[in-house]
Formats: sequence, C-alpha cells, structure tokens
Amino acid sequence: MAETMVRMGELATSAVAGDVLVSLGLGSCIGLALLDRRLAVAGLAHVVLPASTGTAAPGTWKFADHAVPELINRVVKLGARRPMLEAVLVGGASMFAVSKSSLEVGQRNEAAVRDLLRAERINVIATETGGSRGRTIRVYVGSHKVTVREAGGTEKALVPGAAGVAA
Amino acid sequence: MSRYTDLQLDALRELANIGSGTASTALSSMLGRSVDISVPNAFVMPMAEAVGTIGDPESETTGVVLGIVGEMPGSVLLLFTPKDAELMCGLLGVEAGTEIGVSALMEIGNIVGASYINALGQMIGMELEPTPPAAATDMLGAIVETVLAERAGAGDVALLLDSDLVVEGEDCSVSFLLVPDQGGVDQMLERLGV
Repeated sequence: MAETMVRMGELATSAVAGDVLVSLGLGSCIGLALLDRRLAVAGLAHVVLPASTGTAAPGTWKFADHAVPELINRVVKLGARRPMLEAVLVGGASMFAVSKSSLEVGQRNEAAVRDLLRAERINVIATETGGSRGRTIRVYVGSHKVTVREAGGTEKALVPGAAGVAA
Repeated sequence: MSRYTDLQLDALRELANIGSGTASTALSSMLGRSVDISVPNAFVMPMAEAVGTIGDPESETTGVVLGIVGEMPGSVLLLFTPKDAELMCGLLGVEAGTEIGVSALMEIGNIVGASYINALGQMIGMELEPTPPAAATDMLGAIVETVLAERAGAGDVALLLDSDLVVEGEDCSVSFLLVPDQGGVDQMLERLGV
C-alpha cells in the first residue's frame, strides 16, 4: 500500500487499488477528493487559496480555479467517467479565531471549490469543513473509503467505502 | 529556487539574528531566566515543502501568531511543543492547557513577537506595527499552512526565517518564524542594500 502525500498546492491521482492519497494537517486549505465509485480511480487536491491572481506559475495548483479543472481532467484521463464523479471536501477551518483574514481564507476556499464543482455538475457527497480544527484526509483508492482525522482524534470514515469493487 | 543569492540569505539571517536577540532579552526579563538564541535558518523553498521542513505535520503544537502591518506586511509565528508549552507555563506559575495557560503563552508571543518586529523595523528603517496575538493548539501542519496561505499564498516560494529561543537550564525552547509577504522580502533586501 503506497501512501502519496499531497502537500500544499499539489494534486495527485491514482488508478491503483490499495493506493492511499493523503493530505496531513489541513488548516484553512481544502482537501478535495474526486471519486468514481464504480471504478478504482480517485484524485486529491490540496487547495490553498480561492482564486488565482494572475501571477501563478504554470504547473502549480494552489488556486481553486486552477486545481479543480486540472483534478477533473486527470481523473478522467485515468479512466474515471465524467458524469460519475463525486466530491468530498475536508478543511477550510479558521485556525486562529481572532484573525479575521484567516477565517475568510478557509470559508472562501470552501465557497470557491463548491462553486467550481457546481459549475461542473459534480455532487458533493460528504464534507468535514469549517470550525477551528486542523484535519487530515485519506482517500483509499479502490475501496473508495475517505477518512478524516482531527488533532488528538482517531481516523473516522467520512465515506464508508465498499468491499468487492471491480478494480 | 535560486531566487535569492547567498549574500542576500546571509543578510536575512543576520536580520533574524538581531531580531531574535532582542526577543530573547524580552523573554528573559519575563521569565527571570537567561535565554539563549540559536543561529537562525533562512529557508527559501517551494510552498509544498515548507510545512515538512518545520516538523511532522500531524504533531500537536501550540502556535501564537502576530500580524505585521505597515511598510512590510507579514506574520510572526511562535511554535511551542506540548512539552515546551508546559515548561513555559510552569515558569510563569500557571497550568498549561487551561484558559489561563493559553493566555500566558499568548502573552509570551505578544511580548517576544512585538520586540522582534520592533527590532526588525528599526534595522531596516520601516514603520512596522504588530497586531494583537491569536493562538491555536492543533496539528502543526494546520497552523503553519494557515499562516503561509495568508502570507506567502500568492507567491510560489515561501521564505521562512527560523530561530530558536532556549531557556537556560530548562531544556525548554520556542521556535520562531518570520513569514513576510512575497513583496516584503525584496523590500527588506533593498533597504539592506544587497
């Protein structure tokens, strides 16, 4: 079982059952998972900010408006069927209650990702967003399980996943 | 990644060194103990690598953040491991993990961070003001990435100036990060003439 770390501004996809895509310690960032639950294809993006300012270097995916279309393209290239895609969102917290601007970043990240998914007609099937806690997301390719863990907590299933899926 | 020359990084390290020297004096008078400083590190790296360079993203950490407003916006972030938070609270005679423990750490952050910011402003001849502190105890990654998103988010590289303040005889330290806005680094270097 290979764990692929998806760090700030990165995205990753896999079509290998048993692979796990992970973003550790999401704060105001959003971990966006895309799944085709009938196939062993999944992707994860670690979105940092809602919209590009026009200065982003090519090949960087920290902005929602770059990361969401790119993640869709990549999972479709791996064989996921466009109309079957479903999304899971984790993160978007405001870690520092006093700091107004960081609160906005988390909320604006979630709103931006949701808007982009809506425009692409992709349903959001589970979320663990907002609040003031950091979170880790794990996406299990093949079983379609998606889990979330908060600081000091245990890993809990956000999408329960299924046994015996065609890989 | 070679956006800054060695000479420029040395100059930034020297700034951090003097800033943390001033900060250590403030911490020392607050705790009534002697406080040493480590040689600061200047990291310039892709944002993706920044969190992992600082530590295990899932480790429990208390972070106290102060904003810098003025001619060079940025953030100063102080990081305490659970052990350091406990020892630091002990030195101040309060219990860690309680509301008063958290406000004691915030006060340390406030005094240490503000003296660092003032020293920095004086050295580079800029008007810099600290904003009031905010604190969170959570995963290291969540704390650091939230500060990076706010500050370095628009750029492709993160510049971190990292120093440690070590309380003498207590095996207790605070780690200290300066995260300038992207344009702020160039302004600092310009003022320093490198």
